Amino acid sequence: MMRTRAVIAVVVMLGAVFACSGPAQAVTVSTIELLEDGEKFAGQEVTVVGELVGDYGFRSDGSMWTQLNSDSYAIRPIVEGGPLRGSNVGIGIRMPAEFASDLDPAGRYRLVGPVVSVTGIWRYHDAKRQGETFLDVASFTLQAPGRDLAEHPDWVVYGVALVSALIAGVVAFGYIRKRDTK
Amino acid sequence: MLIRPAADDLRTIGSALGRILLVVAAASLIPIGWAVAGQEWNPLGSFLLMLSVFVLVGVTLLRVSLAPRSKISTDQRHLDWGHGMVVVALTWLIVPLIGSIPFVLSGHYASIVDAYFDAMSGLTTTGLALVQDLDHLASSLNFWRHLLHFLGGQGIIIAALLLFGGRGMMTLYRGEGRDDQLLPSVRSTARAIWAIAMIHLAVGVVALGAVAWIVLGFSWQRSLFHGLMIFFAAFDTGGFAPQSTSLAYYHSAIFESVTAVLMVAGALSFAFHFRLWAGVNRAWKPAFARFRARVAALFSRTDGEEALSGDDWRPGDRRADGSFSLFENLETRSILATFLATMMFTMVGLAVLGIYTSVAGLSRQGFFQILSAHTGTGFATVPSAELARWTGLAFGGMAIAMALGGMASSTAGGVKALRVGLTVRAITDEVRNDLLPEGALVDTGYYQFGRHRLTPEVARSAMVVSLLFVALFLLGTGVAISYGVPLEQALFESVSAGASVGLSVGVTSPAMPVVLKLTYIFQMYLGRLEFVAVFVLIGFVYSMVRGR
Repeated sequence: MMRTRAVIAVVVMLGAVFACSGPAQAVTVSTIELLEDGEKFAGQEVTVVGELVGDYGFRSDGSMWTQLNSDSYAIRPIVEGGPLRGSNVGIGIRMPAEFASDLDPAGRYRLVGPVVSVTGIWRYHDAKRQGETFLDVASFTLQAPGRDLAEHPDWVVYGVALVSALIAGVVAFGYIRKRDTK
Repeated sequence: MLIRPAADDLRTIGSALGRILLVVAAASLIPIGWAVAGQEWNPLGSFLLMLSVFVLVGVTLLRVSLAPRSKISTDQRHLDWGHGMVVVALTWLIVPLIGSIPFVLSGHYASIVDAYFDAMSGLTTTGLALVQDLDHLASSLNFWRHLLHFLGGQGIIIAALLLFGGRGMMTLYRGEGRDDQLLPSVRSTARAIWAIAMIHLAVGVVALGAVAWIVLGFSWQRSLFHGLMIFFAAFDTGGFAPQSTSLAYYHSAIFESVTAVLMVAGALSFAFHFRLWAGVNRAWKPAFARFRARVAALFSRTDGEEALSGDDWRPGDRRADGSFSLFENLETRSILATFLATMMFTMVGLAVLGIYTSVAGLSRQGFFQILSAHTGTGFATVPSAELARWTGLAFGGMAIAMALGGMASSTAGGVKALRVGLTVRAITDEVRNDLLPEGALVDTGYYQFGRHRLTPEVARSAMVVSLLFVALFLLGTGVAISYGVPLEQALFESVSAGASVGLSVGVTSPAMPVVLKLTYIFQMYLGRLEFVAVFVLIGFVYSMVRGR
């Protein structure tokens, strides 16, 4: 398990380095930079590395919309014992549908989505889409495939639930008996 | 002299509280079913624990209420006004406490306070959230967050009324900040409210799900999931969303439009809904009758129009029951006026700031955010960091819209349109009275589902609650400022918490100080119950300690 995590971490870091030396003029940024100072990158070509989460929305115009998160949960999710590092930091991305045809499912519960490096134009308050902000992806590299996460049932919780249910049952029985005798 | 509550008072309260907790326990079977269907075993364990705690506390209270020394039997015992207020105030403290158990056990919260914060935010239909890594949260837990909106918005108490009814139960209904009795009995009123909610649920989920499936291209299962979650949050003016980017996740004007309709529906009072439905029913009744008659005529070869001879109703008639006088209501006029004014402020402010370069962008983003603020929903299509840059007039418009809120007896929070209308009316009447010659009579009548007179008592009540809301907003602002939050952001977040809105400029985060979290919890609680029930609870506890 530790080895897998280490491999993913290295892949993500290499991805970032690769992205830096990739397409000309593309600046490598994080989603937090785009969210906090989006105007600075408006209309620029940027590269972002992160996990695809949520859904893949394949629209009739041939585009696919999804969410890309650059946060620690892509490497160590909470289900795997990863640390709490605050809220997710995600942006909307649009890409040609064919880019997404072979992708693993997007990240959600017990599922880490594919980690990708995407390069495209940062559409900040795009006039054509009535002020929406998103990354219009032109090129795309898969950094790490999606993966399933194992979840082990917490038997202590089940045990406590069972004990409290038994106590509740006894109290309820006592209540019904007493009410009926009254 | 304060009178210490008698043991029978405590048993009466315990009995009602116990029943309500059993209603919530029954509701918690839904996420249990969801977790089983989704094979989410750890959340299932936490839901089972929550269920057993709800049942345990509920039946223990019922058991205690049957103590042998009680002079009054359960059947004879009924709630008076004070009991009802205490029950409501305690319900809204205990339900989020037990309801936060699955959140605590999920590992997505840094502390019990954070989990309680989210449960209170869900139940009070606020929508501020401290959950971490929401995008990987189990779907059953996500469902529970949104179901809390539905339970809080439609009213746990109303569900209890529907099941138990009984003498004195109307006081519980009023304790939740509702005051419109749609039908003669409490139970029929509760049934009408739930019927309205269920019809909206069916239509809303289908509409949102269809847009998600057809337009957004989601799988049908996920479309249904998103439709259900967004419906709960929109119709109950909650503001939680299944993804961390809120409504911006969908990147769709159509999806936002359907959501906006549901947000507006949620901000309307149930009395408004009820009369609207009655009016629509009457308007369509002749058309249905005509259609039926024509179909019958096709087969029986009789004149179909004759079947309508007995119905002299014409569309556009003003009905005696006011079904076509909704736009004459003081509340309707008040909310339309404040919505237009705050929208204008916000739009002009955004134009001055130059945040949006296109009219379409300004209109869509500005309109959605202001609608979300005024209805008390709290959905956002822009990130909180960007919302923090909406300064000047845009900030003023948003803050005022959040503070004013929706209609009375709706799921929205804030001062409420009726109180705003009554306060403005009282002030204008006073000014008119001063300007007119001595002895001149000023018409103090106003229309709200019928003619009423604006008495000094009604005006005072509206003004007192409005002032209490201002004090509540200032409290949260002061605490946030003491932690170094800039004034504008502190005020925005405080109004958002106190008026049960849920929009955030980034102050609300897991990293904020515990005292500020507790302050916002208190604001959400007090704002949702509109003070009275909480004050009665404080008085009750005080009289238990100091009374004789």
